[in-house]
This record gives sequence, C-alpha cells and structure tokens, in this order.
Amino acid sequence: MTDLVEPGTAYGLRIAEPGHTLVVGLGNPILGDDGVGWRVIDELDELEHDEASLQQACVGGVSLMELLVGYRHAIIVDAIIDPDAEPGSVWCRPLSAVETQDASHLDSTHDAPLPAAIEAGRALGAVLPSDIEVVGIVIERGDVFGEQLSDVVAAAVPVAAAAVVGALRGLRPSSPQGETVHA
Amino acid sequence: MTRISIDPVTRLEGHGKIEILLDEAGDVEHTYFQIPELRGFESFCVGRPVEDMPALTNRICGVCPEAHHMAAAKAADAVYGVTVPRAGRMLRELLYNAFYVTDHATHFYVLSGPDLIMGPDAPKAERNILGVIKKVGAEVGGKVIDARKAGHRVIEIIGGRRIHPCTGVPGGMTKAISEEERDEIKALADGMIEFGSFSLELFDSMLADEAIEEIVKGDLYTHRTYYSGLVDAADKVTFYDGQIKVVAPDGEVFGQYDPKDYRDWISEKVEPWTFLKFPYLKGVGWKGLVDGKDSGIYTVAPLGRLNVASGMATPRAQEAYEKYFATLSPDGTPVHSRGATHWARLIELMQAAETVQQLVNDPEITSRDVRAIPTEVPTEGVGTVEAPRGTLTHHYWTDENGVITRVNLIVGTTNNYGPIAMSVDKAARSLISKGTIVTEGLLDRIEMGFRAYDPCFGCATHTMPGQMPMLVTIRDKDGNPLKELRRD
Repeated sequence: MTDLVEPGTAYGLRIAEPGHTLVVGLGNPILGDDGVGWRVIDELDELEHDEASLQQACVGGVSLMELLVGYRHAIIVDAIIDPDAEPGSVWCRPLSAVETQDASHLDSTHDAPLPAAIEAGRALGAVLPSDIEVVGIVIERGDVFGEQLSDVVAAAVPVAAAAVVGALRGLRPSSPQGETVHA
Repeated sequence: MTRISIDPVTRLEGHGKIEILLDEAGDVEHTYFQIPELRGFESFCVGRPVEDMPALTNRICGVCPEAHHMAAAKAADAVYGVTVPRAGRMLRELLYNAFYVTDHATHFYVLSGPDLIMGPDAPKAERNILGVIKKVGAEVGGKVIDARKAGHRVIEIIGGRRIHPCTGVPGGMTKAISEEERDEIKALADGMIEFGSFSLELFDSMLADEAIEEIVKGDLYTHRTYYSGLVDAADKVTFYDGQIKVVAPDGEVFGQYDPKDYRDWISEKVEPWTFLKFPYLKGVGWKGLVDGKDSGIYTVAPLGRLNVASGMATPRAQEAYEKYFATLSPDGTPVHSRGATHWARLIELMQAAETVQQLVNDPEITSRDVRAIPTEVPTEGVGTVEAPRGTLTHHYWTDENGVITRVNLIVGTTNNYGPIAMSVDKAARSLISKGTIVTEGLLDRIEMGFRAYDPCFGCATHTMPGQMPMLVTIRDKDGNPLKELRRD
C-alpha cells in the first residue's frame, strides 16, 4: 500500500520515532471493568522497566491508529466481552486473531475498525507497528459507571501485566490461535 | 397485533437489536429498535464536587468528550451563577469549534462518506476509509488526517490534552494561551478552512451521481418532523451557546426558549420495550413513532440545526447554506430527507473552521483574564451545547457546598431516538411486503438509515465496531421468529 505516496511522505502521521514499543491500555476508567486496560498500565508503571512506552487511552479506530504511528511493535491491553469465557481470564494473541467486536475498544462505531485504520495509515505512508499483540482480559459487563473493578477482574490485573512483560521479553510468543495465559 | 416482550437482560451487548413484527398480511406492523445503554451515571456523580464534573463527564463518551466537557463547565457556571470573562468564553468556543472540525471530518470521510464516495452499490468491503483512499487518492486521505491533527492540536493547546480536555472550570478556563500558541492556531485555522472548501466541492461533485442524489434527496429516509437546535442572537446556527428554537414540519416557528427551561418544553415517553426514553415536544404531545405536525417527535443535529436557523454565522458557510436550500428546498421550508444530513454536516464543518479563524484573530484571545472566581452560594444549573449529534444538556443540583445531589443528562442522540427508530422502520418496510422478505441489503439499508444520525447510544467507547453490529429478528403475527439476520 505504501506505493500510493512518495517515500518519506506521511501526511502528518509521523509523530514518533520508529524503533520503540508502545503498550497501550484501552478503556473507560469510570466504567467499571471496562477500564481494566488502564489498571494494567498502572501496574506496569510500578515495575522497573525500560522496554516500552506506556499509554492509557480511551479511543478506537483511526484515533487508535494515530497513537500507534512511529512504533515498531505494539501491545494493546483491552477488556474483552466473551460469554464463553470466565470473567478474569487473560489471553494474549495477535491482533489478526482477535474478534474485534468482542474487544471493547479496538474499534468504534463512529470510526473505522482498527485493522482498516491501520491499512489506511500505511496507505498514507505512516510507519506503523509490524506486529501488534492484544492482551485481553475477559469481563462480564462494562456498561455500569464506577471507578472500581470487580474482584475477579482486579485479580486479573497482575496476570495481564505479567503477560505484557512476557510478550515484551519474547518469553511468551503467541501462536496464531492465541494462548490462554490464565483462566 | 401480537405483543412481544423483550427481556432487556438478554439483549446482545453492543448490538443494535431490532425486532420486526409482521401483521396477518405479512406486512410490517411494528419495528422495535433497541440499543444498549450505560447505567448508574447519576449515582456515580452524587456526592462529588460540581467543579469535578467537567473533567469527569468528558469520560462518559470517547467520541465527543469535548461536548460533555463544555456542557458540564457551562452547567457549573450556572450552579455558581458566575459569568465567564470574554476571553475565557472565546477560548472555550475556539476549542469547541476546532473539535467540530475533527468530529465532522471523521464522520464524513471515515463513517458515512464511504457509502457516498464509493457509492451505495459498491461492495461492502470497499465502503470504508481504505476504499476512499484508493478511489480518491492518498492526498485526500492525508487532508483528512491533517484536519483531524489540526483540530486535536488546538484542543491540546487550549484544553491541556489532545483528548479529554481538562481546562474548563466554573467561571472560565484554568489557563490562557500565549502569543506563540495563538500564532500556531492561526496557521492551523487557514488549513481548516481550506479543508472545508475542499470537502464542500467534493460533495458538489458527488451530487452528479444519481445514486448519491437519491440518498440526499430521496424519500426512503424522509420524515416530516419538528426540528430543534440552538440559534444565536442573530438567529444563526451556533454550537456553544444560544437559545433553543423549534420549527414545525412546514417551517412555522413553534417556539424559542432558554435551554434552562427545557423541562417546560420536552417530555420523555417511556415504552415498555426499551430502556431509552423517547423525548417529544410537550406542546404537541406524543402520538407514537409517527411524523407530521400532530406528532411531537423532533429532530436535532446538523439537519435540525440548519432547519431552525435563518442561516449560518460565517460567510463561506452561509454561501453553502444558500446552495443547500436552493437545491433541496427552494421555498426555504425544512429539508426532511435524512440523507441531506451529510451535506449539512459539511456546511457546519465550514462554519466551525471559519469560527476558529475569527476567534483566534480577536485581539483579546491572549488575554490573561480567562476566569471569574465564583463567589455565590451554589444551587442548581443547566448547561447546554450543540454536540455534533444533537443538543446536549447537563443539569446539576448541589447543596450549599457545591456537592452534587442530583444530575440529569439529555445527550444529543437521545433527542433523535424517535426519528432513528422511524428510519429503521421505514427501511424495514421498504424490503418486506406481503410476506416477502428481501433479506439482501436489509442490514445495509437499515445501517445507512441510522448512520446519517451518527448515533452514539452507548455514549462511551463501548464495544461497537466501525461496521454496526446488528441483530434483526423478524416475527410473524403470533410472535414466532421467521428469520434472524445477524452481523457481527
């Protein structure tokens, strides 16, 4: 897709130097378990590390793509609604293996699905991560206002943080089918 | 008619759930459109200081946090009875109009535009932002990204953050802008206006396509409702502040009121099959999900705003407004086709861009006098803005210490719930007749119907992909399911 633009042209999308890894926790921090992605970033921030940039965000689609511009690798931490899985379960898999309608924030009904947004960004010449891993934390519901996580989802926060660290260090390479870290 | 009871607990999370009930002849008797709703916001707010509300409420929604931030700041002003200094108000308006540029650009080019630019008959897989880039070129995609980036930069300069601004407080803003920041915004404003002109020209060229013209002018999504929206003192479209004006389907002015009096004008109808209430005009009354002068259902957002005002507040937008009405309703009566909303949205984008330029060139924009410290005992206050998706009202009650005791919110999309439900019903009726159900295209037609409204039912960043997930169940006269269409 990059042949649509001249080399070096990126239509204002180049906002960070490539070569870094971004870990972005998605969610709404005032919507109960929906905000678990933010809590995982808080947990990671407590750890001693210099392997990645950390960010909390409440965006999807094109806005999320714009956050990823310039990074070589990315890990997205997000709440997942999956009636077939136990709340508090944590898994790690490539973005291409994620059913995006189950992930709370990878897309937006007012915007574009993240995979389409990434393709569009590349078509515009943006430098975007060559691989994106998703660490998903299964929640039961994310539609009730509150700043507290449920007990079962709160217990999953350190597990998800460990999954992120594992992915960062290449200790836990994901399979195409994904890997359940904890259930 | 068979009564259908829908257990809301079992609704499919994140899906627009639609139940279509047929009569004995196999025609559509009723269409029920349900949507998910977030819960517990009032109890979440009670007990918090009112000055926290602008920062808190902008977390309600991942799509238009700036609108909630502004409505909350205005409501907090009213709670304390404080008047914002001119420079503080201009900064709020500057931020808010820059937000309009980003929001309307995203909606047109990423969400609704693909249906128009690619054509409604293009394969679904191509009707997205990537298809648009392939068809019209990377340069256009770049313009969209640049317009969004410019708007976000203005929001960051004034609001302190690129997303979820935090500088609106009771009495004004927490910080002024420097002359260097003003000069940066000036340069960005020029680009916004250029983008607005480009977008309007692009839309003009698209109207030559008969299929597009049918969407914009056609009868499929036409509803002759009342319209409502803010107007300024000169009766022009405004987004930040003004009076609410209401016009009838024939264009007659129904009334005009101060937003704080909204409860004298608006009631909400509770229906047993949905959590969300249907707002309607008290003075007309509830007649069900029907249009016409006897039905109190009204429409807001771009279509409503352009229909109630006598024009736009800026010159280039006014020129586009005149062309819009000359094309769609030469006698100046309201434009009823929902497809025209896309055009109206671009005209608003132009006004927002021009307003950014006007405000940033005001000599007082860098004044340090951006906040009046509240001194009155707090009580109760209403803050209303025009969010991109319709009139947004925050209403707070506090104790004498400014601690929230009660909250009422009417979000933009809620105002449009009735018209959206009617559009979904009309789309269903167009493809179901005498027991024959044309399933091909039914989901697309329904989706295109409510996309014009850009509904934000979750009013948060909740699980909704760019392609609206839907579950449509069609039932016979006895309520037995005949067919289920689902798209994830």
